[in-house]
Amino acid sequence: MAQIPNLDNSPLNLKSIREQSQRELLNILKNIRGKKCLVIDPKLGGSLSLVIQTSLLKEHGVELWHLSAESIQTECTKVVYLVHARHSLMRIICSHISSDITKGLVREYYVYFVPRRTVSCEKVLEQEKVHHLVTIGEYPLYMVPLEEDVLSFELDLSAKECEVDGDTTSLWHIAKAIHKLEFSFGVIPHVRAKGKASVRVADILNRMQTEEAVNSSDMGLPEINTLILLDREVDMVTPMCSQLTYEGLLDEFLRINNGAVELEASIMGLQQEGKKIKVPLNSSDKLFKETRDLNFEVVVQVLRQKATSMKQDYTEMTTTYHAFGEIIMLLTCQRLGLVKTTKYEKYGANLVYYCRCFEYIEELIHKQEPLAKILRLLILFSVTNSGLPKKHFDYLRQRELLHSYGFEHLETLINLEKSGLLKKQESKSNWLTIKRALQLVIEDTDTANPNDISYVFSGYAPLSIRLVQHAVRSGWRPMEEILKLLPGPHSETKRSGFSSSPSSDTLQVASTTIDKDADGRRSLVLVVFIGGVTFAEISAIRYLSAQEGMAYDLIIGTTKMVNGHSLVETYMGNLV
Amino acid sequence: LHEVAFLLWKESWELGKNPMASRGSPLHGPRIKLIEKAQSLFSETKEHNFESKAAEEHAKLLRMQHELEVTTKQAIFVDSSISDTIRTCIVLGYNQAASKVQKEFKVSEKRWYWLKVFALATIRNWEALEKF
Repeated sequence: MAQIPNLDNSPLNLKSIREQSQRELLNILKNIRGKKCLVIDPKLGGSLSLVIQTSLLKEHGVELWHLSAESIQTECTKVVYLVHARHSLMRIICSHISSDITKGLVREYYVYFVPRRTVSCEKVLEQEKVHHLVTIGEYPLYMVPLEEDVLSFELDLSAKECEVDGDTTSLWHIAKAIHKLEFSFGVIPHVRAKGKASVRVADILNRMQTEEAVNSSDMGLPEINTLILLDREVDMVTPMCSQLTYEGLLDEFLRINNGAVELEASIMGLQQEGKKIKVPLNSSDKLFKETRDLNFEVVVQVLRQKATSMKQDYTEMTTTYHAFGEIIMLLTCQRLGLVKTTKYEKYGANLVYYCRCFEYIEELIHKQEPLAKILRLLILFSVTNSGLPKKHFDYLRQRELLHSYGFEHLETLINLEKSGLLKKQESKSNWLTIKRALQLVIEDTDTANPNDISYVFSGYAPLSIRLVQHAVRSGWRPMEEILKLLPGPHSETKRSGFSSSPSSDTLQVASTTIDKDADGRRSLVLVVFIGGVTFAEISAIRYLSAQEGMAYDLIIGTTKMVNGHSLVETYMGNLV
Repeated sequence: LHEVAFLLWKESWELGKNPMASRGSPLHGPRIKLIEKAQSLFSETKEHNFESKAAEEHAKLLRMQHELEVTTKQAIFVDSSISDTIRTCIVLGYNQAASKVQKEFKVSEKRWYWLKVFALATIRNWEALEKF
C-alpha cells in the first residue's frame, strides 16, 4: 500500500490541493536545469512523503539528501535546499557552503523556504557572508492532506511557540492555509472561533479577505459552509487521556508519523534483524478503514475474526505483506491491551472521580517512569483542578521531579507554567460544572454499539468534540455560559464574498435549514484544531459525521497530529 | 531580570555539553559559577523562589558529583539527577556516599527506599535486599 493516501472519496476535492503542491515542487525543480541534488530538512521529509513519491522526484534527475551537519558528497553542481525557516538550519547550510569553498568546489546554491521565507533567516545568511551565493525562493506548502477528511498544516510547535515564546507566526500560517482553501472552494460564510489563537486566526483571515479578496462570484456556492476554529488550549484534558480507539492506541504505543508507523522488520515477517520498516496506515487499506475508529475492546475481536478468514484466503497465495502486518499488529495490540487494561480503567476512574491520583503520580515518579507520562498525568490533574494545591505543587516540582529527573527539566517546568498547563491552584475549579453541562462523563457506555462520542475514551466524551457538536447544531449562542468557563474568548462571524449579501439571516441558518448543494451532497463543516488533534478526536468527529440527521460532512484541519506524549514533548527543553 | 538569569542558566548547560568541559574538571568551576550567578539573579525577585532554589541545589549537586568523580575515578556522575546519583552510588557500593547525598537533599524516605530496592536489584545483591 502506498503511503500517499487515496483521496478519491473525499467530500472536498483535496486531491487538487495535493496535485497543486506536487506541481509547484516539480516546477521549482524543472526550472533548475540539469542534474541537481535536493537536500531536504529532515522535519519536512515526512510531509513531503505524503505529497510526492520519491520515484517521481528521481525521474526529474534529482539526487535526494537529508540535511545534516555533514557536508554533502555529490557530483552535482547544483544544490537545492528545501527547508523550514529556522536559524539552526541556516547555519548548517552556511557551513556546507563554506566547506565547499575551502575545498575549491564551485556550485550553485538554491534555498527554498517552506512555506515562506523570513527576514531573520536571510539575515543569518548575510551575516555568514554567503547570501550573494544563494538563490532564494519559496515553496508554499501550507497543508498536506493526511486522509480523505483530514488536512494537516504541519506546524509541530505552534502551541508551544504561541504560549511560551510569544511567537504567533504559526497563526498567520494557519490563516493563510485556510485562505488558500477559500481560493479553491469559495469564501466560508460562517466562522465560529473559541480560544485566544482561534479568534486571532479568524481576524487574520478576515484581513486577508479584505486585502486579497477571493472573488466568489465566479465560483458559485461556497463548498465549505462553516469553519469552526478551536484552540487546543480550550481542551487540554482530552489529549492527556489515553486514547482508546484502535488508531489512537497504535499512536500511543507505536507513534504514527505522517500516516505511517515504524515497526521492527522481524514483526513483519522479514528476516532483517533490528531493521525498522515503515508501514503506512490510511484508509486506502480496507481493513484499516473499517477498524481504525473502533474502540479497542471491540477491535480485538473484529481483527481476530478477520485474521482467521484472511488466513484461509491467503494460504494459497503468498501472504501479502500488509495483511500479514495487520495480523501481527493485532497481536501486539492485544498483548499491550491486556497488560494495560487494568491501568486504563484506573485512569478512567480517576478522571471520573476527580483525579484523586496524587499518590499514584508520586509513586510513578519514585519508580522513575518516563517523564512525559508523569507530566501528562500532572497536566490532567492540574487542568481539571485549575491548578495543583500549593503544597503539592511545590513538593512535586522541587523535591520530586527535579530530583528524580535532573535539573535540566527546570526549563520544561517553567515552560509548562508559562503556558498555564501546570500551575498553582488559585481559584476554585469549574471543571465539575463543565463536565455536567456538557455531559462529558457517561456511565455505562456501550463500546461495541456506540450511541455517543464518549465511546472513544470508553466513557469520557472529549470536551473539544462536544463543543464541535454544539457549534454545528446551534452555534455558540445557546451555550455562552459554558464557553465563558473555558479559557479564551469566543467569536462568531458571518462573512461573505458577495458584498450585497443580506446580513439578517445570520446565525440561525445553520441550524434550521439543511443546506444542500445542487447535486445533493451534504454541505461541509471544516473544524480546525489549533495546536493539534488526536486520532481519538478524529474518530469521534467521524462518528458524528456518520450520524443520521447530521446535515453536514465534517472535515478536519489541524496544525499536527498529536497525542499526550508528543504534546508534552514540545514543551520539554532540549538541553541535554 | 529573571530572563537574564534563565539565559545564564542555559549557558551553563551549553558549557556542560561541550566535550572539553565534561572531561576536564577545571572547567566545572566556571559552570558552577554561572549557575550561582543565575541563582543570585533569580533570588532578587520574590516570584522566582522556585528557580532560585533549583539553581542553588543544582550547584550543590554538581559539586558533590564532582567530588564523587574524583574519589571513584569514574566520570559518570556529573549531569545525572539526584536519584540517579544515589542509585549509582549504591550500585557501586558507596553506601555512605549515597546516604550523604540523601541527607544533603532531604530525599524522602519513600523515594530512598524505591531507589535502594532498584539499585540492589540491578546488582542482584539479594542478601542486602533481604536484610533491608
